[in-house]
Order: sequence, then C-alpha cells, then structure tokens
Amino acid sequence: MNTTIKLENDNQVVYFEGRLDTSVASQVNQDVQPVMENTEHDIILDCSKLDYISSSGLRIFLSILKNAKSKGCHVFIRGINADITKVFKMTGFFNLFEFIEQ
Amino acid sequence: MIILAIAAMLLLIIFVSQFWFAYRGITSRANTSARNELEIKRLNIERKLARVETAIDNMEWAVEDNLSNPDVMFDVVLKIVKSNKDIVGCGISFLPNFYPSKGRWFEPYAVRRSDGHYETMQLGSADHDYTQLQLYTATIEGDSCLWSEPYLDKDGARMMLTSYTHPIRDKQGRLVAVLAADVSLDWLNDVVNAHHVYPTSINLVLSKVGCLMVCPTESLTLRRTIQEVSRNVEDTTIHEVNRNMLAGEEGHRIIINRDGVKKHVFYAPLGCNTGWSMAVVCADKEIYHHLRQQGLYMTILMVLGLLIIAFIIQRMIRNMYRIQTINNEKERIGNELRIASAIQNGMLPKTAPFSGRNDIEVFGSLVPAKEVGGDLYDFYIRDEKLFFCIGDVSGKGIPASLVMAVTRSLFRAVSAHESHPGAIVTQINESMYEMNDSNMFVTLFVGVLDLPSGRLRYSNAGHCPPLVVGSSAQPLPVEANVPVALVSAWKYTCQETMIKPQTTIFLYTDGLTEAEDISHNQFGEERMATAARRAIENNAIDPNSLYQRMTDAVNVFVDKAEQSDDLTMLVIQYKKEQRDLRLQRHLTLTNNTEEVPKLHEFVTGVTDALAMDEAISMQLDLALEEAVVNVMSYAYQSGKKGSIDIEAKADDMKLIFVIRDSGIPFDPTAKEDADTTLSADERPIGGLGIFLVRQLMDSINYERVDGQNVLTLIKKLNS
Repeated sequence: MNTTIKLENDNQVVYFEGRLDTSVASQVNQDVQPVMENTEHDIILDCSKLDYISSSGLRIFLSILKNAKSKGCHVFIRGINADITKVFKMTGFFNLFEFIEQ
Repeated sequence: MIILAIAAMLLLIIFVSQFWFAYRGITSRANTSARNELEIKRLNIERKLARVETAIDNMEWAVEDNLSNPDVMFDVVLKIVKSNKDIVGCGISFLPNFYPSKGRWFEPYAVRRSDGHYETMQLGSADHDYTQLQLYTATIEGDSCLWSEPYLDKDGARMMLTSYTHPIRDKQGRLVAVLAADVSLDWLNDVVNAHHVYPTSINLVLSKVGCLMVCPTESLTLRRTIQEVSRNVEDTTIHEVNRNMLAGEEGHRIIINRDGVKKHVFYAPLGCNTGWSMAVVCADKEIYHHLRQQGLYMTILMVLGLLIIAFIIQRMIRNMYRIQTINNEKERIGNELRIASAIQNGMLPKTAPFSGRNDIEVFGSLVPAKEVGGDLYDFYIRDEKLFFCIGDVSGKGIPASLVMAVTRSLFRAVSAHESHPGAIVTQINESMYEMNDSNMFVTLFVGVLDLPSGRLRYSNAGHCPPLVVGSSAQPLPVEANVPVALVSAWKYTCQETMIKPQTTIFLYTDGLTEAEDISHNQFGEERMATAARRAIENNAIDPNSLYQRMTDAVNVFVDKAEQSDDLTMLVIQYKKEQRDLRLQRHLTLTNNTEEVPKLHEFVTGVTDALAMDEAISMQLDLALEEAVVNVMSYAYQSGKKGSIDIEAKADDMKLIFVIRDSGIPFDPTAKEDADTTLSADERPIGGLGIFLVRQLMDSINYERVDGQNVLTLIKKLNS
C-alpha cells in the first residue's frame, strides 16, 4: 500500500495505491497527516489505483472529509472503480463526497 | 303525529255524534215533558171548569122555574155556591127593570167568604151597574154561555175572578137574565203552578184578549199583556208566540232576549170555551244543563285520552329511536370489530416454507371465539435463527386483543436485537408491567431455534408446554415462570434442547386442550397427544398435516358446542438436510490486525476454488475482514493474546464461513445498524463493520456454544 501526496493546480492530491485494509490503516492514517494540516487547498483523493477498501479505510476518508469541511475546503474523489463505488453506495458514503471523472 | 291526529279525529267524531244524539234526546224529552205538562194542566183546568159549567147548566131550570118569585133567587144562588166548592160566588143579573118592584138593577148574589161562611146580597145598584160589565153584555149579545175575561170584583167576592155566564130565558124563550158563577183565579194559579217541568221554568196563562192570568209576578196579573211585558225583548218571535196563543194554536218557539239568554216557549190552548192559552217557558241553559255537564266531562275525558295516547305514542317513538340508535351503534361496533379482526389477523404471519429455504417449515392459525381474540403467535427468521412465540392474554374480546397487539409488537421490537429468549421475555415483561393498569396478564412461550445447529432455546412464561413430535410425541419440559405483566423484575429462565432434523414442534393455547363438547368435557392433553401419535404413525407430521389432523380431532370432539375460547396453533418443523461438502478449509489467526492479509489470501483461495467472480470475491473478502477485525477488536481485552479460528465450507447451495473465538461473550448481530443517511458532520467515525457484513452476506448467525463465540456468515451460491 503506497500513499503519495502531491500539489497539483492548487489542489492537494492524495494517490492511494493497492489494498487499504485494516492491517495498513494506521500507516495510511499517518501518511495523510499533511493533508489534515492543510488549510488552504481543496483535496483530491485519487483512487484510480486503489484495489480494495475496508471500513478502516473508509474511516480515514471520513476523517479527511470532516477535517477539510471544518476549514472550508472541498474533498473530491477521483478515478474510483466500480467495486469500490458499490461499497461507497452501500455505506451511504457516496452522498458525502464529491466525485470527479478522470 | 299521524296516529295522534287519527285518534283525535276518531274521538272527536265519537264525541260529536254522542253529543248530537244526547242533544236530540234531551230536546225531544223537553218537548214531550212540556207538552205533557200543558196537557195535564189543560185537563185539570177543563175538569174544574166543566164541573162549574155542569153545575150552572144543571141549575138553569131552578132559575127559570122561579122567575115569578124574585126572592127565591137568593136561595138558588146560595144553593149553587154551597153545593159547589169550585164556585166562590154566584149571581143572577136580570135585565134592567125586569122586576119593577126591585128597581132598575136586580142582582141576587151569594158568596163564600174565606173564613167559610156564606153571604147573600142584592148587588145591583147605581154604583155596581152590572149592565156595563163585559161579562153581562157579551152574554146578552152572544146569547150563549161563556167564560169571562178575568176581573177584580170589588163589590161581591172582592177578589180576582173569572166567571162562567149562562143566559136565562123565560117560558116564552125571551132572554131575561144572566146566571154567573165566579171562580177564583187563586185556584187557577194553584193548578198551573202545582208542578214545574224544570225548577226555574215559568208557567203562564193568557186570557182570550191576552191578559196575563197567571204569571210569577203577581202585580202584573190582569194588568198587563205579553206585548206590554215584553217590550224589552228584541226578538220578534215573542209577538208571533203571542199571536199564536191568542189564536188558540199550540207550538214551540225559541226566544233570545237582549242579554243573549235563550228560552224555549211551549204553548197550547186551555179549555174549549175559555179561549185561554198556557205557556211553559224554560231556560235553554236548564234544559241542556246535563248535556253541557256531560259535554264538559266528555271533553275532559277526550283531552285526557288524547294526552294518554300522545304520551304512549311519544314513548313508543322514543323507544323506536332508542332501538334504532342501539342498532346503529351495534352495526358501527360490528363494522369496527370486523376491521379490528382484519387488522389483528394481518398481524399474524400465515404460513411458511420461507422462500429459498428448505430447512424450516411453519404453519400458524388463530381462530378467535369472538371477532377479536386475545391469543397471539408470531415467527420470523433473523440471522439464521427462527424466532417464534405463542401466547394467551387473560380475558377475551377487545381488551385482550389490545394487549395481544402490544405483546406481539414488543416481541418483534425486543427480539430484533436480542437473541436470548430469557432476555426477550424479561424485557417484554418489564415493558408490559409498567403499562399494565388493568391487571391483565399474558402466558407466553418464546423460542429461538438456531437453524444451522438445530439448537432450540426457549423461555416459558406460564404457557402450556409445547409438544415435540418426532419419533414420539413428548411435551417439552418447561420451567414454571410467572405469566408476563404480573411481577416486576422477574428474571425469566431460559432452557435449551437440540431439535433433531424432521422433528415438529407443536405449540398451542389452552383453547385447544380446554375446548369443550356439549356436556362440558374438555378435549384435554391426552386426546391431543393421541392425535399427534396418530400423525406420527401416518407419517403426517409436516406443519400443514399435523395442524389439519389436530383441527379435525378437536372439531369432531367439540361437535355442535359453541367455541368458548380462542383456538391457536403454531406448528414448526425443522427439516435441515445434510449435504455433501464440496470444500472445507481452515485458518487460524491471532488477534492482530496485521494478520488481515493472511485472511485475504485465505478468502481468495476459497473463491478461486469455487470459481467465483472477482466482484463477489472482493465482497466476501471485505465481509470476512470486517467480521474478523470486529472479533479482534472486541472479543479479547487489549493486550491479551487470543486466537481466531475460521472455517470455510461449501456445498451445492451455499458457502459458509464460521468464525470462532474463545473471548468474552459478544453478539455482533445484536448491534444496531449504522444510519447511512446521516451527513458527514453527524456521522460517527466507526460502526460500519457489522453493517457491511450484513449488506454483503445473505445471512449471519451468532451462537455462544461451549464457551466460544460462533459467528456464521452465509453466502448463497448460484444466485
């Protein structure tokens, strides 16, 4: 599981790569801390290379969203695959985030 | 109202006709009695006058024979007076100068005084010139006998008189004198007033020229005529009456005077020669006095009768309205009861096999004694467990049905998150005890049948023990807990047993065992058990057949007796079939989330072996991760090492994962689902795990067995 953060077009983009399951959740949580400290950029969570997400991963997504919202920033999800979309819909997360097509 | 009007009309017709006939009768009677009166008076007077006439006519010869001797005339008149008590005085008035020796006027006269002695005298004189008197002149001129007009004789009898005069002739037939017999008018008065038709009726006698000879006011006698007396009467009928009377006619007239007083006058002539006429005057008021009184009584009676009829009719109408209101009310209640009955019926699940399940079959039936009943049953499957209950509310009818509805709702609500029958009944009891102001209670049996294992756990709150019908029919041993809603804080015990496949659990209420025949014998447990044994012998213990057999048995027993209590049966057959396993694998993990990739490998291995597609594989992977991580997080206290055993097995129908751990008892299925409709701000960070498991698997099941938490996840294949 790789997590990379880049600044693109004034947006903070987080690239997730691999399986985001419970075993890696605490590591990923540390990796996204810079995003938590950000106060001025909108955030894009790039999921084009994300193969799997469990509830611990969804929990990280929700913390990022709550944090950004409290600072007046937007969180977008980009490149999400069909299987993970199904999980988002199942849990009601689909209604919480804004999605952008790649 | 119409009835009242008809009654009034009838009464009025009766009243008027009765009155009319009575009026006719009274009128005719008045007429008759007045005429009788007149006739009697006429006869009395005529008899008296006839006696006088006869006496005078008979003495005529005595005068005529002694014409030559004038002094004998005194003896003759005295003899006439003496021999006739009707005659008060008698005189012979000779033509003037008939006896030169006696002077111009010669009138021998005899009179009987009121003290009884007789006097004779010569009345004729210049002062008493009898030749000027009407009775004398009329007799001479008429040359016939006649009765004089009444007059006051001042000189002879000195009283009111009427006289009968008879002309006297000498041998040559020349008229020489007038023989006159005086009759006192007092006598006439006595005869006429001897009797009255009505107490206040007046009898009047008129002379030939219309003078009042007899009338109630003595001062008017002889001095006045009717015409003079009746000047103040406007009704001219009185003049007609007067004319008729003077003409000697008889008749009946009605006179109304100025005050509007109505009088009936009956009149008829008296005597043949006198020319007198008599009248009887009666007040209309008096004649019809009784009729009026009778009319008054009848009116009062009629009004009373009408009032009574009106009262009766009013009562009848009120009763009619009341009956109608009661009927309407009955109908309304009946309709509401039918609706209530339909609602109650709708609460009860009807029948199963459950769709897509071949391991359980259920049949339930509730036949209420009234429209709505106090029995209840319910069943449903959650997390591979059959939750079921049967109960009987004390009492019957609407109150019982309300408690029944509450009990059934509580059963659903509590068992949605609680799988332990003892806890379910305990919680139902607490809720019902709090709201039980009417001291109702419910006997309740709650069972939870674990479908994968066949383990039945149950709690009995005073209900009759169910029959377990397999190779034999035995009652399930039950502990005696109190019925629900009676005692607060009662801890209901839970019992358990294993139900073998193909075994049927037969639950019922006392409406079955206490069903009575006409002689009040009860169906009883023995007959019920016998019916069950017959079903075993005939291999007919599937829910439908067993229910049908039991119903037939109780119907035959009860026959024509009325159903006295709700009759409820719930029949459950456990039919788990063993299938050949296609796959069985094991994995043991420690309670460390670092182990999740191993689980991923294990799940992928299983799905690959079963050739499942990648999307389903990912869903199973996710479900297993969530279930196992949940166990890792809660089953063991932090820092304590433990193991988690995961078994995967598959037959043709389904893939089953069984997750076992030896941690503290923890039922993840009892957790409430996450609310996925909340906004980001409201949403809690956690709580998604078991929710996802439920979403991704077809069913989940938790059991605590032998000190282990056993969580089973099932995914149907070929779907």
